[in-house]
Formats: sequence, structure tokens, C-alpha cells
Amino acid sequence: MRKALIVLAFIFTLLSVIFAILPMGTLGLLPVGLALVFSGLAYAKSAANDRTVPKWLLIVAGLILVVVIAKSMTPDEVEKDVQMEQQKIESQKEDLKDLEELEAIE
Amino acid sequence: MRKLFMIAAVLISSITSAQTNKAVKSGEKLTYAASYNMSGLMTPLAQVTMQTQTVKTSKNTLLHLSCNATTYTKWDTFFKIRDNYESYVNPTTLKPSLYKRDILEGTYTKKEKYLFKGNTIQSTLKRKNMPETTKAFQISGSASDVVATIYQLRNVDFSKMSPGQTKSFVVVFDEKEMGVTAKYMGKETVKAGNLGSKTCYKISIGAKTNKLKGTDKNIIYLTADNARVPALIQFSIPVGTGQLTLTNASGI
Repeated sequence: MRKALIVLAFIFTLLSVIFAILPMGTLGLLPVGLALVFSGLAYAKSAANDRTVPKWLLIVAGLILVVVIAKSMTPDEVEKDVQMEQQKIESQKEDLKDLEELEAIE
Repeated sequence: MRKLFMIAAVLISSITSAQTNKAVKSGEKLTYAASYNMSGLMTPLAQVTMQTQTVKTSKNTLLHLSCNATTYTKWDTFFKIRDNYESYVNPTTLKPSLYKRDILEGTYTKKEKYLFKGNTIQSTLKRKNMPETTKAFQISGSASDVVATIYQLRNVDFSKMSPGQTKSFVVVFDEKEMGVTAKYMGKETVKAGNLGSKTCYKISIGAKTNKLKGTDKNIIYLTADNARVPALIQFSIPVGTGQLTLTNASGI
């Protein structure tokens, strides 16, 4: 039982790291929560002299939780694309040419 | 008698299609947060802006409608989206003259341009690693592009409609005409960014296309005032569901 809990805690901690790296927002809380639950249970099921692995899994999951919360609290921003803005201005000039041609036909 | 019927039909269709624009102004800027449903949680993915601007040619004054979708910086490394949909319309009738679509989604690119010449569209299409193609095809008189149709929807007087009643549009998309229906479903209060909580008309969008999924799953909430601003847009497409929530509205 203890071994199964440690394996599950390990898997979800790994998933938490992936979700924390990816821009998943609050969705990252899901694997972190499960990692904390399984590592907590593994810690409780372990004998006092055999708690090193679950203890470290708990610490890592806790740290990832802080990272995920901090990342989900940062405001969403879009990059200011100067090149694209310039392309839009050029494109609008072309559009006006097309519209002038269209009006000449009509 | 047949002639009389034809004249009546033409008159009725001209009254219904030649709607005067009262809701859309030049200088509007609507900003939305686009979220995608991932395992039941709405994850913010991109910013969508809808802008209007007056442009002048030597003969006419037109309204330039543009819709841009830009992924948030944190997503750019994984999946960059820079979609741009534009339409140049008559400011009174919102009838389009030129429609453009410029898509960048990950590694996929597509550029499309439609020139509306009466009942004919002169289209130009350029896909990634493909040669540019041009085509001319016939459309019905009431057909519009997708951008102009969104703005035309804002001019429908839903206050005179009862729940279940529909309004039809003809949209040209991917060089094909398709029928789109807007079904009025009643009123609901929705959060509308800096406008606060607003009573909105709930409109279900239906189209004969495989791009939209489900019945009454694609909903637009338009503020129940003169501006009829889209406050919330919920969509259901084959790859999932999501929503666009209004975060900021100016110039309305």
C-alpha cells in the first residue's frame, strides 16, 4: 500500500512539473493536489524511520503548488508585435487600392 | 398578378435586408479574453479584439471592421496564434466590399481575400506551401462575410422578437455560401467587463456547417441596449468548447 502511494505520488509530482512548465493556469492545480494527497498518505503510512521519500515528495509538491499559484496570478498579456503592426499599415494601403479599383468598376 | 407578387417580394426582401446601422459606431474597441475548456476548467488562451475605424477612398467613406486573435505571451512558445479577420463595409448598410482573412496558427498559414463585385466574389487564396489561386463565384444578394455578419447581428432589434423566433443570414466562408440562423432565446444578466453586469439578449447561432457543434451550444449574449455589444460568446467546435468574455469596451 505504502509503495503504491509513493509510486502514485511520484507520477503526479512529475505531471505537476510538466503542468507547471506549460501555461496551463489553474489546471496545474489538479496534478499538484493529487501529488500532495498521495505523498501525504504515503507519509502517514510510513514508519517514523522510513519517511524520507514521502517527505521529499511532499516538499517538491508544495514548491510546485507555490509556482502554479504564482503563475496563475500573473496577468495575461499579449506581445506587442511591431513587425505585425507595420504589416497591417502596409496591408491597409493595399486594401485602399483594391477598394479604389472596385469603385472605378462600379 | 405574378408581376405584382414579384414586386411585393422584392420590396419585402429589400426592407428586411437593407437594415440601417444604428448600433455600430466608428472608433469602437472591444477586447475579449478567449478561454478554452481543458478538463472542465476554462484556461485563458488568447486576446481577441474587435475594432471599427472609418476609412475614406476617393469616392466613398467606409467602415473598417477588424477582429484579431492573439495568443497570450505565455502560449506563444507552444502554439502561436495571430488571426486577423477584416471587412470594409458600407457604414449605413454594413454591406461588405472587401473581406480579408490572414491566419497564423502554429505552423499553419492561410490568406484569403474576397472582393465583392455585386453578386460576384473575386477571391484570392494563399495557403502555406501552395500556389496562390484566384476564383470568381456567384453569391446571393444578401450574402455577407463572417465579420460583417457579426456586426449586422448587432443591428437586429431583438426587443421586438419573442423567444424561439429566428433571423436568417447568408454568410460566405471558405468560398462557400451557407445559411446562418440567429435564434432569440430570451434575456439573461451577464458580466460585461468594464460595463459591469448587463441584461443581455441570448442568441443561439446555428449554421449548416461542420465547424459548429451541437444545438444551442453556440451562444452570443448581446447587451440589451442600443449598442448591443457582444458581452459573452460561448462556442462549441469539433475539437472542444470555449468562450470569449468581454474585458474592456470603449468608443461604444
